[in-house]
Amino acid sequence: MERRDFLATLGAAAAVSALPLRAADEAGASGRITLLHTNDTHSHIEPFGPGNGALSGRGGVARRATLIKRLRASVGSSLLLDAGDTFQGTPFFNMYKGRLDYRLMRMMGYEATTLGNHDFDNGVDMLVAAMESMERMNHPNAPFAFINCNFDFKGAPHLEKRMRPYMVREFPGMKVGITGVGVAFDGLVAPQNHLGVAWRDPYESLNPVVKHLREKEKVDLVVVLSHLGYQMDGPFDDLRLPAHVPGVDAVIGGHTHTFLDAPVRVPQAMGETLVFQVGWAGVNLGRMDFAVAHGEVRASGGLSMPVEA
Amino acid sequence: MDAYLAPYAAKIKASFGQPLVQAPQGLYRGRRGEENLLGYWVADTMRAAAAKATGDPIPFAITNAGGLRANLRVGMLKVEDIYDVMPFENEVVIIQLTGSQIIQVVREGLLHEGGEPCSGVRAELSGTPGRTAFHVTWTDGKPIDPAATYRVATTDYLYEGGGRMRTLSRGRGLIRTGLTLRQVLLDRCAELAKAGQPLLPPAPGRYVIPPALQEALRERELHF
Repeated sequence: MERRDFLATLGAAAAVSALPLRAADEAGASGRITLLHTNDTHSHIEPFGPGNGALSGRGGVARRATLIKRLRASVGSSLLLDAGDTFQGTPFFNMYKGRLDYRLMRMMGYEATTLGNHDFDNGVDMLVAAMESMERMNHPNAPFAFINCNFDFKGAPHLEKRMRPYMVREFPGMKVGITGVGVAFDGLVAPQNHLGVAWRDPYESLNPVVKHLREKEKVDLVVVLSHLGYQMDGPFDDLRLPAHVPGVDAVIGGHTHTFLDAPVRVPQAMGETLVFQVGWAGVNLGRMDFAVAHGEVRASGGLSMPVEA
Repeated sequence: MDAYLAPYAAKIKASFGQPLVQAPQGLYRGRRGEENLLGYWVADTMRAAAAKATGDPIPFAITNAGGLRANLRVGMLKVEDIYDVMPFENEVVIIQLTGSQIIQVVREGLLHEGGEPCSGVRAELSGTPGRTAFHVTWTDGKPIDPAATYRVATTDYLYEGGGRMRTLSRGRGLIRTGLTLRQVLLDRCAELAKAGQPLLPPAPGRYVIPPALQEALRERELHF
């Protein structure tokens, strides 16, 4: 491991336990969690070869798996999440149709992902086939969840039964709610490739889900897996999302392949939202840490860690 | 993880020797200032792939000759030949440019690189090295509306400011197709082979430059 990677890993590991909680909180309903995340991995299973500029020699799932394993061993509660566009980009996708990508994600221990536009590149049936292949493999890790709340899957029942609008995970001292949103198909996904799936306004779709998670499920932390893009020409993107959907603590973003070194803090009606995205192709692993007490975030931080040899 | 992956990676490596399609005439880049028929094929292919990926017509595509690192020689092409032509992971992207920006992109490609491989337009230089006229139309000769907005296929490398056609970076509404340029070339070869057709070079005639002006262009002595 390079010194830089080692230091980043060490620094992040130290950060989570250092996140402050008040003495009174430590005794009550409080906890800490680490979110590890990727976006737009695009079938980059092997590291970049030479001649690819700053990306040369970076990425690769074997190294990502090693980094994840080491981090999860050193932190307390954690979730491994992805913001979509797992498919398309290398011969691995062309030959294995996304089945290998999803199987590797299960092997790495992902809990959930959402759907990006490129996950529809081979059409709905091939997407479902890749999901099935991952679900059926024999592996100690549970299959991961596919989460989205702004696509209407009614016309695609085989896909619909594999999707959920949100999920809740319980950890010592806290509950985490995870939902997801996807980018509009228009001009991005050919109509025959999203047959039976309709796009809905992501803000209008998110608001009742976030409300349900907070009020009915009583979660302490709300995470959105977003494939809307960091900053777009139109009205829907990760930076604008917090103003329209208060009550989101973290947006794990994708689509625009934006390299951020650390989460951007966006103020909103109920506090602030940490918006993050870590480039693409699995060259980085993102990390966000939250200390939560009585349903409120008391401290948070995060950083992007390089995936290198 | 490495042990699990090894057979999958080996199968892909083995595919490098697989025959793709016959190229009975080969496709060559030509010298600077000459027509780059390999580049025309690449631009045609990326334009068609972009249109297919999004379901929308793409009237113009442009790439850079410098990114094409080998010729395609006469004979049966193999997968590795396409890797030799396009070793980079450049992605085909779609942007929106106005007609006048498209014309400016073609001009920048001519001034700095002697004319970059494009698809959908025809550019003509006339006059003398001292007084050179520059004229661009759609391939069918119809005028390009300078105020209208058009979808353009190019690479992420050029959009992000690589190369010297700087106007490409002014494109709006970026769409990433997720397709590498190499993949769309491989797919096109496979499609031709499946249809029992050879890979033939596109017709020349996209840059019409009189010999005297060609010489001046090579020497970077032209202004228009």
